Order: sequence, then C-alpha cells, then structure tokens
Amino acid sequence: MADCGLMLTAENVSFAYDRRARLVLDDVSLSVPRGAIVGLLGPNGSGKTTMLRLLSGTLTPTAGRVTLDDVAIAALSRRELARRIAVVPQDTHSAFDFSALEIVLMGRYPHLAAFELEGARDLSIARDALAATGTSALEARLFATLSGGEKQRVVIAGALAQASDVLLLDEPTASLDLGFQLDIAALLSRLNRDRAVTMVVSTHDLNFAAALCTEMVLLKAGRVIGVGPTREVLTRERVRALYGVDADVVDHPRAGHLTVVPLARAD
Amino acid sequence: MRAPTDLRRRIVLTFAGFGTLAAVVCLLAPLVGSTPISMPRVFDRAIPFADNVDAQVFFVARLPRVLAAVLVGASFAVAGVVFQAFLRNPLASPDTLGVSTGATLGAVIVITFHIDTAILGVSAVPVASFAGSAGALGVVYLLSVARRRGTSSTVLLLAGVALSAFLGAVSRLVQVIGDYTDVFRSIRWMMGSLDVGSYTDIVVPLVPMTIALAAIATLPRVLDLVSLGDPAAEARGVDVRRAERIALVSASLLTGSAVSLGGPIPFVGIIVPHIVRLIVGADHRVVLPAAALFGGSFLVVCDLVARTAFGPAGMPVGAVTALIGGPFFLWLLFRRFR
Amino acid sequence: MRRAALALAAVVVAASVLVRADAHRIVSIIPATTEMLFAMGAGDRVVAVGSYDRFPPEVDKLPRVGALLDPNVERILALKPDLLILYSTQTDLRAQMERAGVAYYGYVHRGLPDITQTIRSLGARVGVDAAANALAARIEAQLADIRARVAKSARPKTLLVFGREPGTLRSIDASGGIGFLHDMLETAGGEDVLADTKQQSLTMSTELVLARAPDVIIELRYARGDTTAPADLKAWDALPSVPAVRNHRVFMLQGEEFVVPGPRVAAATERLARTLHPELFK
Repeated sequence: MADCGLMLTAENVSFAYDRRARLVLDDVSLSVPRGAIVGLLGPNGSGKTTMLRLLSGTLTPTAGRVTLDDVAIAALSRRELARRIAVVPQDTHSAFDFSALEIVLMGRYPHLAAFELEGARDLSIARDALAATGTSALEARLFATLSGGEKQRVVIAGALAQASDVLLLDEPTASLDLGFQLDIAALLSRLNRDRAVTMVVSTHDLNFAAALCTEMVLLKAGRVIGVGPTREVLTRERVRALYGVDADVVDHPRAGHLTVVPLARAD
Repeated sequence: MRAPTDLRRRIVLTFAGFGTLAAVVCLLAPLVGSTPISMPRVFDRAIPFADNVDAQVFFVARLPRVLAAVLVGASFAVAGVVFQAFLRNPLASPDTLGVSTGATLGAVIVITFHIDTAILGVSAVPVASFAGSAGALGVVYLLSVARRRGTSSTVLLLAGVALSAFLGAVSRLVQVIGDYTDVFRSIRWMMGSLDVGSYTDIVVPLVPMTIALAAIATLPRVLDLVSLGDPAAEARGVDVRRAERIALVSASLLTGSAVSLGGPIPFVGIIVPHIVRLIVGADHRVVLPAAALFGGSFLVVCDLVARTAFGPAGMPVGAVTALIGGPFFLWLLFRRFR
Repeated sequence: MRRAALALAAVVVAASVLVRADAHRIVSIIPATTEMLFAMGAGDRVVAVGSYDRFPPEVDKLPRVGALLDPNVERILALKPDLLILYSTQTDLRAQMERAGVAYYGYVHRGLPDITQTIRSLGARVGVDAAANALAARIEAQLADIRARVAKSARPKTLLVFGREPGTLRSIDASGGIGFLHDMLETAGGEDVLADTKQQSLTMSTELVLARAPDVIIELRYARGDTTAPADLKAWDALPSVPAVRNHRVFMLQGEEFVVPGPRVAAATERLARTLHPELFK
C-alpha cells in the first residue's frame, strides 16, 4: 500500500448550479488517501459527475472546500492544478482529424509555457503514455476512427501524459464492451501500482468498482450514505439503500473480489 | 503522417509555403485584367497620374481590389476556423452566430431608407453593416456570458442559429417595405463586391481586423484543446469561458469588418478551413496561419476570375467562390480517400 | 429587334381588339401606363394605381393596390375594374383575372419605339383612340425633331449611370446596349459606350469605366429636388484619366421621367440632348 496521508479531500461540500436550484450535492465530505483507488458510486443523478468536477476544480463549491495536500484548490492556478490533477471524461469526441499521438500530446499543455512548442521530451512522455496503455500501435491513426475501447485508452494515455499525481475518471467503462471493461480495470490497477497514481473513479457498475477500488463512497441524491474500504461498505443493505434492488454480494473465489448479483426489486 | 516534433518545421514551412503563394498571387493579380495595360507605362513617372490610364487601372481599379480580397479572404477564413473550433462543429461558419446576417440587416436598412451620410470618409453602407454586425456580436457576447457552466456549446450554436434566422427575417421585412430598385441593390450587395476603388475603404476596417487577429494569435493551442470539449480543456488548465469570449468576439469582429468591406461573400469561411486542414493537418498552430494566407490568396484568385472571365460586366465574386471552391474541395477529398 | 417589337405590338393590338369594349374603370399597377392614361385624357377612368406610381400628382388621391411583386388581388377585385393593366410576366395575376372574369392588358417593358406603340394600342383598348394617337404622334414628332437637330453633330461617347452607392464608385449601375435608356441616349445624339453589351443594365467596375473612357458621364437620379445630390459627383474624381472627368463633363439629371418609359420620354430625351449638345439648344 502506498504511504498514508490524505491527498485530495472534500470538506463539507455543497453545490447547486443555480442560486435557486436544488442542491446537487449536500454537505459531502470525502477523503482520497495517497495511492488509493476510490470509487464514487451511485445511481444516475446522484451527483457523481458534479463531485468529480468539484474535485478537479472545474466547478466551485457553493459551500465547503476541496483541498489538495492541505491546500485549498481554489488557491491554485488553473495550470498548477492541471499539473496535479488530470481528468478522463466520460466521452471524448474530436471534431477534427487529430491523430492519437496529437491527442495525447495535448496532455502536455499544462507543462508548457505560453507559446512553447512540444519538444523531444514531451514526445517521449507521450509515447511512453501510449505504451503504458497498450496503444503504441495506434499512434498515427486518426482518433475519430478508433473503437470505443481504443479511444478510451488513448484518452487515459493523454491524462497520463499530464504527469499528474491524481487521476479522476468519469464512468470510464460506460460505453465499452465486456472485454474492454476488463482491460480498463486491469490497466488502471497496473497504473496505480506501477506509477503510484491516486485515482477517483465514478461509476455505476458495481462489479467494475468492486474489482478496481480499494475504497468506496456511496452517493445518493447528493448525500453520502456510506464511505470506507470496499469490503466494509459494499454490503447487501447498502446496495438496497442505493439502488432499491435486492442483491447478493459475494466474495467470488475466482475473481478475487466482491461481486454483486442483482436478484429482485426491493420495494 | 506528419510527426509532431516537426511542428516547428511544419509551422515554418506553412508560413513559407502559403506566404509565398499569397505573395505571388498578390503580385500577379493586379497585372491581369480585362483591360490590357503596359507595366512600363504604369510606373512611368513622366506621365502625370491624372493622364495615365494604365496607372489608374493599376492603382485605382485593381490594386485596392487585390488588397481588399486578401484582407476579406483572410478574415473570413480565420473567423471560420475559430467558430468551427469553439462550436466544435465542422459545419460552423462566420455566419453561424448571426454576425454577417446582422451586417446584412444594417446594409439593407441603409439601402432601403436611402440613408446617405458618410462617417469618417466611409460611406453609409459599410458603416451600417459594421454596426449591424456589432449588434449581433453584442448578442453573441451576452449569450456566451450567460451560458452557465456545464451547458454545452450546442446551446450557444442553437441560440446563434435562432438569432441569425431572426435577423434574416427582419432584413427581408425591411426589403418588402422598399421598392424594387432597393431590393435589387440589397441583393446585389449580398453577393459581395471587392471593387473598392479607394484605399480609405481598406484602411478603416484594417484597424478592427488587426486587433482581432492579434487576439486570435494568442489562442491556437487553446483551439486544439477546446475542440475536444469544455471539460477536457478545463482539466488541462484552459480558462474556457474567458478564451471563448475572446475568441468569439474577435472572430465576430473579423467577420463584421470583412462583411462591411466586401459584403457577405459566401463559402470562404466554411470551406477554406477544411481545405487547409486537408493539406496541413488539424493542429491549429499550423491551420490558423495557413487559413489566413490561403483564404486571402483564394479570394484574390476568385476575384480575378470574377472580373476577367465573364465579359465586360464581370460576375459577383460571391458566385465564383463556390464555383471554384466546391470542385476543388471535392477533388481534395477524393484524393484523400483513395 | 424592331421587328420583334412590332410583331408583339401587333399581337397585343389584335388581342385587345378581339375583346373590344371601352374601359371606364381601369386599374393600372404600372407607372408608365398610368402616366400614359392620364396623358391621353383617360385619367378620370383610372380607379386605382400601383405602389410606385408618382405622376401626375392626381394619382396621390387614388387607392394603391400593389405592383410587380405584391399585387393585392382582393383590393383589385373589390374595385370592380373593367380593365387591369399588368406586366405580361405576371402570369399568376393574369390567371386570377381570367378566373374572376376581369379583362386585362399585358404590358411589356421594352425599347423606345414600343412606348408610342403601347400608347396607341392602350388608347384603342380603352376607347380614346383619337387622343392616344395624337399623343403618340406628338411624342414621335418631338423625338424626330431632336434626332434631326443632333444629326450633324459629333456624338460623344457617353456613359449613362442610373445608380451608384453614394460617396463611392461602388455598385455603378449603368444602362447597357438595349432598352429604352439606350434608345433615348442614341436619339439624343450620344454614342453609348456600352452599346456592345446585350443587357439592359450592368454593374460597372472601375476598371471598365477606365477602359471605356467615356467623354460624357450622365447620372440619372429619380428623386427630384435633392440639392445636395450633385455634390456626390465628385466621387468620379477618383478616375481623373477618364475624359468626362478631365473635361468636367460629368452631369446629374434628376427626375422620374428617366425611370418611367412613359409619355414624358420625349421631354427626358430632350434633357439628355441638351446635356450632350448644349450649343444646339439655346
């Protein structure tokens, strides 16, 4: 396990998009230890994406604050923040014909000065990131022509090229086939281990989260209804509270992690 | 594929290659025309200018046209690139947010109500069309500011389309009030004309054009990042709201200046960016200078064809841009897909 | 060209003879025919005019029913006309009149000779033959007189401009080699510098003006009484090598008679002739 110490925390964070709108997140606190993979789980509309945006600094909390290594992220410049935290959005569409390598090179932007062009070092970091995600062969291909799984891996490579300590991923497997879901889980696990990248993954796929995450935060309607290590938090009762579904939570002998099998609606 | 480390080289090659094209086109274009002139006579100082027909053809009839074409073509092309990147839509054009429709409305009002006052030595129609585009620009700016964080660029695009449709409808309404000679004049203005015949008409819009181009010159890498979506750009440290405001206002300023100088010449702003991308790739640090230089050259060539290939009266340059540009673009596409 | 015009006029006359009946409630949406009707003494039979009719002053009291692009069929029919004068090209309006059983007269906008032809045939159609023929004869006599006067003089190369963006030389609308403006110019003793073009009007570029190098430039403006407008002629100073500019022979003539090919065409032609050959008209 990586050394202890809190890295990224949200302290009593609330958020509403509009002064008069309802709160999307209500008094949420969570902490991401260094080196951990924290899963943000909850049904659609529970505020997961908003939470990620608050953690990355894209949105400012209506109340409370987000800190990175005990420094409020609001005090950091955008560039500084981008060097420390990278984001993998749910979907990435390129309107123009960029190659996979060009997409990954864009991750170097926070490290370059105003009119500085990418140099040899940036190129090798980018290629390294492609190799780490197993997409070196796609370097010259147009991003728009790649499959869903390939695109996702290239985008992750782009986030890696940003050389940040923290990686936030929004539903990384939402549009992927089963095989690619396994690939991404394995990839993220490996990156976490080899490169000591701290991760926060938002997902509604319980099995994917169970396979990957060391800790979990359960969000429902903008509030935390459970937080802690995976094995403690992912229980039958919590699944029912979160999704309204009666499910079996089993430690699968061959998978090596908890698996959730939905059985029936719980009314 | 062009390796990105060669980016410096690609940028240099772009400036050199397209710059040479632009220079050659600009040097040759005033020499060609429907009237034969003799170059030695043009530059013969012994003949007083007032008597020198050849010199007047060169310096009054042709040279301002070429300069206007370069400025207008470059402006439309650069504005097109910027709009396409920020609206994340390859079909966006300088008119997507209604700026040139606003300019058209200004011109139509002045033409229909016979307002003839000149301001700063510039006649009423260019001033009014610039004012119209500034009005539309104001609305675009407010739309951009009002856009809440988290709303997509599609909202901005839709609002712009609605604004454009509304301004177009008001324009037609004004035309209905006017009589048929005014309608004819409006329609003819809308087809574009670069026959400025004076250097004042060029110098005045040059000021806003330069300011706008300088602002856009700070944004090429931002355009790349933003074309992947707001969240991706924000996560990489781009202040998307601020960049968007600068980009849209500058691109609208460019469009408004270009339309007030030459009319709403179609096709250049939407297709030249794509022609350029097919040649140099998608990186905006190469695309922007290439678009400016190629857009200017393209319009000079179109205007040359418009004024020489269709008899003494010539043809409106707006008709020629699509005639030439369309097949050229299709040819480039076929080459690429082979 | 003349033959075609005569043939067309013959057909029109024949057609109007076939539906012969005098007209006493006439709607004319064409400025030229409105002026013709008043000039031939049939003005009291006109019950409505078009949007752009301005002459004679009596038309201001009459209801207006639209024009070429927007004729108001309901208003026309509500006036119960026995003759509607419309453009031959208004096929929809013609069809509607046929359905409503209203007689119509189709007007064709052509050259100078057609003006007097139209006066005669319209007069016959309406039932004021004598007055119409007299009017036509008077006009033809005036034109012949002008032609005779200028016959011996040199014909200056003339550019006739009927529109331009004020303050600049952009969007110059010039009269081309066909049409009544061209015919008027030739009758008035000018040589049309654009005689070789086969269009009624064209947009001139500055280069074309320099190339054709007219001796005289005449700008026609139809808003009369605008005292500031002649100052706008200094825009032509941008082309000092043009003989007309060099010799200060750039003129502006104001008045609707240059826009409307009607009975005032002889007066208009005389104004042109005076401008081109001032010495002949003391």
